[in-house]
Amino acid sequence: MAPLKSLEPDYPIIDSNFQQFCASHHIFSVEDFLLHDIYALELSTKQHFDSKRLEEGISVVRTIMEGLHQPWLNGMELLQKAQGNKHGISTGYERIDVLLEGGLFQGNLVELVGPSSSGKTQLCLKVAANVAVNNLGSVTFFDTGNSFSPKRIDKLLDQSSEPAKIKTEEVRRRVMDKIVCQSVFDIYVLFDLLHQLKSTLKPVTGSSVQMLIVDSISSLVTPILGSGAHGHALMVSLGFLLKELAYEHNLSVLVTNHMVGAEGGHLKPALGESWKNVPDMRLHVSRDCKSNICSMSILRHPYITAGKAVMFSLK
Amino acid sequence: MESSSGVRKWIEADESAKELLSRVLIQLFLPPPLHNFPFRLGNVVEIVGPSPSAKTHILMQAAIRCILPKEWKGVHHGGLDHAVMFIDLDCRFDILHFSRLLEHQITIAEGLKFSEEIDRDSLGGYVKNLTSMCLRRFFYVRCYESLQFLATLKTMHTKIQEQKENHGVGIHMLIIDSIGAFYWTDRALSSLTLGDTNRKGLSLQAVSDTVVEELRKLLQLHPMVILTTKTVNLQGRCLKHEIKSVPRNMSSRDATFFRATRSKPENNPYREYMPSVWQNFVTHRVLIRPSDDENQRPPIFSSEWLLPLLNRTDRFTFGDNVILTVP
Repeated sequence: MAPLKSLEPDYPIIDSNFQQFCASHHIFSVEDFLLHDIYALELSTKQHFDSKRLEEGISVVRTIMEGLHQPWLNGMELLQKAQGNKHGISTGYERIDVLLEGGLFQGNLVELVGPSSSGKTQLCLKVAANVAVNNLGSVTFFDTGNSFSPKRIDKLLDQSSEPAKIKTEEVRRRVMDKIVCQSVFDIYVLFDLLHQLKSTLKPVTGSSVQMLIVDSISSLVTPILGSGAHGHALMVSLGFLLKELAYEHNLSVLVTNHMVGAEGGHLKPALGESWKNVPDMRLHVSRDCKSNICSMSILRHPYITAGKAVMFSLK
Repeated sequence: MESSSGVRKWIEADESAKELLSRVLIQLFLPPPLHNFPFRLGNVVEIVGPSPSAKTHILMQAAIRCILPKEWKGVHHGGLDHAVMFIDLDCRFDILHFSRLLEHQITIAEGLKFSEEIDRDSLGGYVKNLTSMCLRRFFYVRCYESLQFLATLKTMHTKIQEQKENHGVGIHMLIIDSIGAFYWTDRALSSLTLGDTNRKGLSLQAVSDTVVEELRKLLQLHPMVILTTKTVNLQGRCLKHEIKSVPRNMSSRDATFFRATRSKPENNPYREYMPSVWQNFVTHRVLIRPSDDENQRPPIFSSEWLLPLLNRTDRFTFGDNVILTVP
């Protein structure tokens, strides 16, 4: 909540006189303006001797407010923006790509839900390897459970469709350079890192893809989700921050979540009802015990009906 | 004399009754499941339901009905010919799906098959041109937090006026999806205390008060229909196992009251969480929920009007991406 004083250098009309006028109405920052009746404020300027200047100040604040929200776009502009992202990012598993009609898309927040050792981390690593090896772009991997291992990525690169591409050490190093991994054990650290990412992201040039993977987000959120509204508030704001990164900065964001017991002996996704609405896409993964055959079904998708499922092999 | 012409002008009519009614009595007939009432400008309709239900899809269909023209190049489309503004608080709107639904709605127009002007070759061109014309009437913005939402509302008046001047098509529908999106983040803000007690702190109550205030002012300047959605958790079925367990330290009188309120899900199908200032602002409310049979494909939903209270439930489903009522 920056005070009005800080706006003075950029907008000289917000001088000490204007600030005093606002202070008399208990307005000290732009956010306070958002909670106030601006029309009533404009009327009250008439009682002052320099009402014209105060009115000008208020209209300058109005233009500042226009900069506080995303710009309005019409349907055609939205469509053109979305059609730029039409090609999906292949997950590395053909059957999943078919199920999702192309794979993962930029601008979306996708959640992978499944019980432990159902193949979620394997899937994340495979997608990361795929993006790196096919020169699609860079991957930022936030690892909360020490499940990321360069050796596993190396093995996946060996199994990739064109091993000839990565014969030389140098090429392999370049591919591995594209994946940046960071261990995160605390939700506040994650918030910091995401804000840093937001401020350092440059507009994406050409068809370069940027992928963000958080494995797993539930292990960061569950400890703070106890009683009280704060836990839920943190979880929901984390969700919105991820969505903002995905949509406004054109990332493809993938997060994983575990499952908890529900009534009737079933399992349901963790993080509760308030998180249910946050991801654009929710995919359920489960594995037949002792085999490498997994099944993925759609829990939520913008247009594909929920329940569609597909089996795939982890190998 | 000058004064007599002034008096004459004062007595003369400004507009005929027909003009007055056509200006004031604009009624919007929306597709099912909102087809039970004609909505007038100034109505605030809230679509309530658990997640996932078809709420966003219903909004999309309503928006499509609004942006389509009544008739274009001789083909009747039955739209309302207005512009729509969509404030996305859930941030899950998919424009590709929306444009596909719009194209589908255009191609199923009755007269298209029999029109002589539009032969097969230029059918694609017809659809493309009409789609882009309609999409230009659809205005969209995303808000990731309450402050952005408030800033959007406060600057909407200038945006609407600018729109009217540039395009000439009036805006008669405002869609907000969904109004309860920032409930948890705003609730947690209440605990932030500010030194000056006269200063309005950012809290759920303050945000809701300001939102309702701004919407009311907007409705006075630009009459329109407001459609919003709200995600709720349904009670009743889910809480059956909770009825037996009454908290131990409740007195016996409270315990019987507790059991009574819990075991009557029909009175309160869901727990209302928005502040009463918002609840009183809403003029129409409909509850959408999935039907009991969860494994049915395509899924069937039921709609029930809570405000005004209609004692009946309609059922609907998706057929070919269009919402159809099921008997």
